[in-house]
Amino acid sequence: MRAFNAELSKLFSLPGIWLAFLIGAFAPAVIAALDGTAQKEKIIAGVSTRLSEVGYIGLCLGVQGVIILGVLAVSSEYLTERSDSGGGNQITTSLTVVSSRFHFLLAKASAVTVISILLSIVAILTTVTATNLILGEYAPAFEASRLIGAVCYWIFTALLAFGITVLTKNGVIPLTVLMINSSVVTISYLLTKVTKLAFYLPDKAGSDMFMFTSDSFHTPFTGGLIMFAWVAVLFIVAAIVFHRRDVTS
Amino acid sequence: MSVSSSRKITLILGAELEKLVTLPLVWLTLMGTFILNLVLAAAFTSVGLQGAAGTQSILKIGLASMEYLQAGFIILGILATCSEYTGGQIRTTLTTIPWRGFQLSAKHLALAIVTIPMAFIIAASGVLYACIMMRDTALVIEIDAMIKTLVGATGYLTLTTLLSAAIGVLLRRTTPALVVLLGHYFIVSPLLRDFLPSIKNYFPDTAGYYMYMPPSSDEINVLTPIQGTGVSMLWTLIFITVAIVFYRKRDA
Repeated sequence: MRAFNAELSKLFSLPGIWLAFLIGAFAPAVIAALDGTAQKEKIIAGVSTRLSEVGYIGLCLGVQGVIILGVLAVSSEYLTERSDSGGGNQITTSLTVVSSRFHFLLAKASAVTVISILLSIVAILTTVTATNLILGEYAPAFEASRLIGAVCYWIFTALLAFGITVLTKNGVIPLTVLMINSSVVTISYLLTKVTKLAFYLPDKAGSDMFMFTSDSFHTPFTGGLIMFAWVAVLFIVAAIVFHRRDVTS
Repeated sequence: MSVSSSRKITLILGAELEKLVTLPLVWLTLMGTFILNLVLAAAFTSVGLQGAAGTQSILKIGLASMEYLQAGFIILGILATCSEYTGGQIRTTLTTIPWRGFQLSAKHLALAIVTIPMAFIIAASGVLYACIMMRDTALVIEIDAMIKTLVGATGYLTLTTLLSAAIGVLLRRTTPALVVLLGHYFIVSPLLRDFLPSIKNYFPDTAGYYMYMPPSSDEINVLTPIQGTGVSMLWTLIFITVAIVFYRKRDA
């Protein structure tokens, strides 16, 4: 528990974390608002084909906040400090204090999970408010089950970013890959045109938890299960690698 | 030590080039981009082959991966400038080269020298792949149209790299710079394209898009390649100027 508190305190004091909070809390609302404005006329006329996506599209595209959170949580540990302040890595200190590597990883992952849950709740509140403000009485009702799906999607995405960064130790690669892959034109979407297997990629399966579109492939539950399986496998691999690796190598 | 100013510039440029070339992440990024580009080109080509045969333009399919390709060059630009700030290399640099404006301009020049051939090779490899795979089905393309497009693509990637380097100087940290640039190029800009069509042409990436996309009849090309280049270059120059001004004023 003390390790968990320490991880939370470390996360909140990171220099780049304000960016994660800012993007996580407001990007979904802004995207949903833009989409709502563009769709408004069609929705009022009752001819919109994307009524079920309104609002949720913000939650689907706005996961960058938790991606940054997951990546920063790990990559900050491996950042080499300036030579005039010792040139050390934070990870050496962290592992001296919490000597069980498994506990360290678990505490950090729990801290990331808790912050992502909070962030996703804030994001849902701002997104629902923005949608209601723009669409007024035409705004679709937000069902609790789909919102829970969105929260799960955010948590799993944060943990995916976390796990990949444990493996790479450098934040640049996971940040780039995941940010591109959560953008409007994702690589996963392109791959679904080539092979059906791409529907089993974590982001594609995960978004089926709350995005009910015509090209949904899984039911919400199986989608969540597939994404969870990805996270679990990645975590086992990351834990093994982290356990066996020399700290600063 | 007194050296003539032309010799000084050569020395600074040489030093910046050497720093850039010996940065291991630069080569990793370029190699990763190259491989990713081939994979994407394969994916796009196979999608194109499934589509209506004979109607697809090879150039369009070969360059479809540009959208993702630019990420590699954004990383390259940020790495080149932000690597100075991790570990305090910047102080060594500024001790040996106390002319900040010169030093930063030389850095951008060195970056352009490295980027131009790499961008050309990577962009050409995608088109070449599409060419080989679609030889039988697609229309024949003229060689000078292809060269014009490839030059445009190279120019666009180089400008993007320089723009990213300037942003890197302004923000001085890798992660925020990466988030800001990727966020703009991959999330904000595609959304704005749909929602605010009136001003979209004046962003660096959409203007740059016209530098390499071959004009086609079914789309309305609002900017000519020259106009696109102009807008894109203006953005890059503005950001480099702002970066140099800040760099000169700010505590290192």
